[in-house]
Amino acid sequence: MLSTTAPGTTPGLDAAAGLDLQASFETALQGLGLSAGAAHLLWLPLPMVLVLVAAVVGVLVNVWLERKISAAVQQRIGPEYAGALGVLQPIADGMKLVFKEDIIPARADGLLFTLGPVLVLIPVILSWLVVPFGQHLLISNVGVGIFLWISLSSIQPIGLLMSGYASNNKYSLLGGLRAAAQSISYEIPLALAVLAVVMMSNSLSTVDIVDQQTGAGILSWNIWRQPVGFVIFWICALAECERLPFDLPEAEEELVAGYQTEYSGMKFALFYLGSYINLVLSALLVSVLYLGGWGFPLPVEWLAGWLGQPVDAPVVQVITASVGIVMTVLKAYLLVFLAILLRWTTPRVRIDQLLDLGWKFLLPIALVNLLVTAGLKLAFPAFFGG
Amino acid sequence: MFGFLKKVGDYTRDAVGAANYMTQGLAVTFDHLRRRPVTVQYPYEKLIPSERYRGRIHYEFDKCIACEVCVRVCPINLPVVDWVMNKATKKKELRNYSIDFGVCIFCGNCVEYCPTNCLSMTEEYELAAFDRHSLNYDNIALGRLPTSVTSDPAVFALRELAYLPKGEMDPHGVPDTAPRVGRLPEQVLETLPKTEPAAAAATSKEKA
Repeated sequence: MLSTTAPGTTPGLDAAAGLDLQASFETALQGLGLSAGAAHLLWLPLPMVLVLVAAVVGVLVNVWLERKISAAVQQRIGPEYAGALGVLQPIADGMKLVFKEDIIPARADGLLFTLGPVLVLIPVILSWLVVPFGQHLLISNVGVGIFLWISLSSIQPIGLLMSGYASNNKYSLLGGLRAAAQSISYEIPLALAVLAVVMMSNSLSTVDIVDQQTGAGILSWNIWRQPVGFVIFWICALAECERLPFDLPEAEEELVAGYQTEYSGMKFALFYLGSYINLVLSALLVSVLYLGGWGFPLPVEWLAGWLGQPVDAPVVQVITASVGIVMTVLKAYLLVFLAILLRWTTPRVRIDQLLDLGWKFLLPIALVNLLVTAGLKLAFPAFFGG
Repeated sequence: MFGFLKKVGDYTRDAVGAANYMTQGLAVTFDHLRRRPVTVQYPYEKLIPSERYRGRIHYEFDKCIACEVCVRVCPINLPVVDWVMNKATKKKELRNYSIDFGVCIFCGNCVEYCPTNCLSMTEEYELAAFDRHSLNYDNIALGRLPTSVTSDPAVFALRELAYLPKGEMDPHGVPDTAPRVGRLPEQVLETLPKTEPAAAAATSKEKA
């Protein structure tokens, strides 16, 4: 949804760049007699609302998957009475939280207590700015894209620490401190793993990173060139989302619910929403960084060529865009499935093991991975981004 | 230099080992995904309690002789036996009998020691109540028989694990006629040598 459609090309049908909905929308509005500025203003809220809705629906699907897959792994049935196969269960859960009494404990710090969950949720939702579902299907192709996500995700521990401290409860404080320690420790190997990918694609922009993986379909995906980076990134993403085996901040057997202990009602729902949006976001970013983003395992251009269709035909463009969205979501949810399966496979690590893994294992390996990538880029610029 | 290389080697071996274990674990959880649920969908499905199940106690007022053995063997002297001495007949006259199932631990001592067998165990276990005093059953309530799981048309009765045919782990879909694993007490009796006392006496007489 860039406003960089080159002059001279038909707006909305730029062959090289694919479908550009913004340009088509604005020209249509201008055709109705609106000024260019007004058309742009009318366009602006659309992708934002759309992505917000997509994020929330993604969370609902995620919660349903979590419950159903967890049930299947444990040979249970799981929710089945709220809607067909229990698909409405997440909505029922959400409605329950909305109508629950919103309690601020008497001895808690009211302002920080309220601000905490907000600070946790907002950066996660803001990060959806840079998630691309297609060449032009993202809110904003920021030049610093992936770096924006990394910096936004470091705001989160402040919110966690804040809510843990403001609850005035030893479990909450311990949970908050653990969350902060965990987030800070795992951000470094995460950033280093991302840096290796960025080095190969010579850009921080998520669109450029995907574009660099579109040459030969599945073979050009970054996972083949960055297998170690992929594993490091996935482990760190799980740790950042506080998913098992890294759910120490909430470890219910030791800390009741960690920093969430004193929360109920909508404030708890914000934490809940935040953690699931974060999981979907991480899965989406893994698919963008390592699994070719919106790319089909076979390049769509080849398929169109075999079927004798011109790549810039409107029908092909629409199909390509739809396939792109489906592929992005499919890859992300495959990773979510893996995360849920891992949840029931791996036991929780201790806090010292967690920090050991982060600082003594992942960090050096991520550094070596970065150096090796740099070396390979110099040695084989054709394969590792010249 | 070699120390460093050895460290790197150990590191790698550890990492490969960890990945191997993780894959094995994932294989186990993944395999469970395709298995049928084994859960009993209460209250639509219920397990059939075993023969020796100790549920709510049944009591027959007419059999009771008000001996109070049940009270004496009860760990907390729970049964309340309300009787008066009839001076004319010089016999105990029972007026009321009650057991509070909010307090009872279902140990079955009263049932075990009752000389007239007026106490017995039922299969009833659904004793949830909004008021704990409503669990204090008098002799009328104690005399009611519970609905059997097998005869309740609203319930799918499922057999417990030990009552399933050999090799079956899941009670769903096992036909009612399928015999349970192992031999029933009657079948064990049939295999024993016939040593009926009357028959033995007859044979010994013939010999003599």
